[in-house]
Order: sequence, then C-alpha cells, then structure tokens
Amino acid sequence: MARSVWKGPFVDGYLLNKAETSRASGRNEIIKIWSRRSTILPQFVGLTFGVYNGHKFLPVQVSENMVGHKFGEFSPTRTFTGHSADKKAKRG
Amino acid sequence: MADRLILMGVVGRAHGVRGLVRVHSHTADPAELAAYSPLLDDAGRAFTLVWKGEGVAELRDESGRPLADRTAAEAMVNTRLYVPRERLPAAGQDEFYLADLVGLAARDPAGAPLGTVATVHDYGAGASLEIAGPNGASLLVPFNRASVPAVDIAAGIIVVAPPAERLVAPPAAEDAP
Repeated sequence: MARSVWKGPFVDGYLLNKAETSRASGRNEIIKIWSRRSTILPQFVGLTFGVYNGHKFLPVQVSENMVGHKFGEFSPTRTFTGHSADKKAKRG
Repeated sequence: MADRLILMGVVGRAHGVRGLVRVHSHTADPAELAAYSPLLDDAGRAFTLVWKGEGVAELRDESGRPLADRTAAEAMVNTRLYVPRERLPAAGQDEFYLADLVGLAARDPAGAPLGTVATVHDYGAGASLEIAGPNGASLLVPFNRASVPAVDIAAGIIVVAPPAERLVAPPAAEDAP
C-alpha cells in the first residue's frame, strides 16, 4: 500500500539540517549518510551525498529528476558485474 | 592507446546445426555490436558478425565464409571479441569512455600521486571514480569539475581534488547504523 499523501514524504530530520549547513558553507563536500530510506527533497538538489551501501559510501549527485526517489535507489547493495564496453561517463 | 583492445562481446553456445552461435554483447545496445565488425579474437583473427535473430549471430571469417557447421560453432564457444580502441566513435564534450578512465594515474592538485582509477561507478546519480591508493585504501570521488578539474587521457593523468567529507550519523535515539 502506498504511503498516505497527508503525511508528506519521509525524510530523516537530521538530514535536512545537515543539508542546509552544507549548502550554506558552499564548500565542495560529500555528506556521508546511512539513511537510504530518506526521500530526496528539492532542497537537496545540487548537493552530493555519500550513500552507504553496506560496504562503501557511493557518491550520489542529486539532480532535479531524482526528487521523490529514495537515496538507496542510487547506491546498489549487490555486486555490479560491469558497465557496457562502449559506455561513456559525463563529467558533471 | 593505439593498439589497445576493448572487449565488446563473448561467443556463447552453438545455435542449431548451421554454424550459428549465441553472442553476449557488451555494447550499450546489443544490436550495435555488428556495427563494430570486424571483431578480433585473442589470436588476432578477424570476424564479421551478422545478427540472425535475437542474440543469435553468424560469424564470418576474413574471407567472408561463415562457420561451416555446429562443430565449428562449438569450437568458437567462449571466444572473446574485441575492437581496437581507436574504432570507437569520438566522445562528446566532457564525455569519456569508461575504458579510457580506468587505469589513469590520479594526482592531487599539487602533483602528489593518489593512486590509480580502479573503477567507474554510474548508477543513475552521476558517475564517480574509485581510486585505489598505493596502501590498498580506496577513495571515491564524484566525477564533476569540482572534484576532477583536469582529465588528460593522452598523458594518462587525472587531477583529483578530494572533496571534504561530512559524516551524518543518526542521533543516538535513532536506530544505529
């Protein structure tokens, strides 16, 4: 069953405070978090989080089209066998 | 980089009795593998690949002859198919092939060595580089201009400015990590 709309999106409260602090500092930094369950809010766009996958903190650069998803969706916990041979990475 | 080979596919099991084989393509779009023909194997033999169905292909040797029968197809099982790096199309502005990034030497802005790029992670939230340090420790940095200000594929060097880290542990009352 889907989450009730009246509750709003779930996000761990301490993340909001840290995100605000990080944005105010304006430094190039990674916010390391364990909270994979938190929803990505519009306030997080432009920040980089290190989301723990049980092994390491994978960098997640938050963009607008990620809003509404959970942090854990971008930090897979299973071993990934490899990207395609002709795959390209774009520098953000 | 001139003679570097990129693994593009692997021959699977034989299909039928007419010399067809299953091919596991490692390209982003599996059907694109045929466009990279001729493909080279470990021994340097060139093959032209023609798709005959979903995942099923005909391999033709340099003289254009297909594999004769199932026995010839079975002899090709587990053959790795490569293309020379220079045959891949040019990447766009600020785009890099993962195959080019892996193995580059990472240095900090002052020129001190940080290690070697071991892996490129990309799970839909921007690419990130995993740099294996000389002491076995690994460093994960987002692949953006702030953290990776310079990439010189020809020289085999990237400049990495590791971002500061801010640890956000849940308060003690919350469920501990």
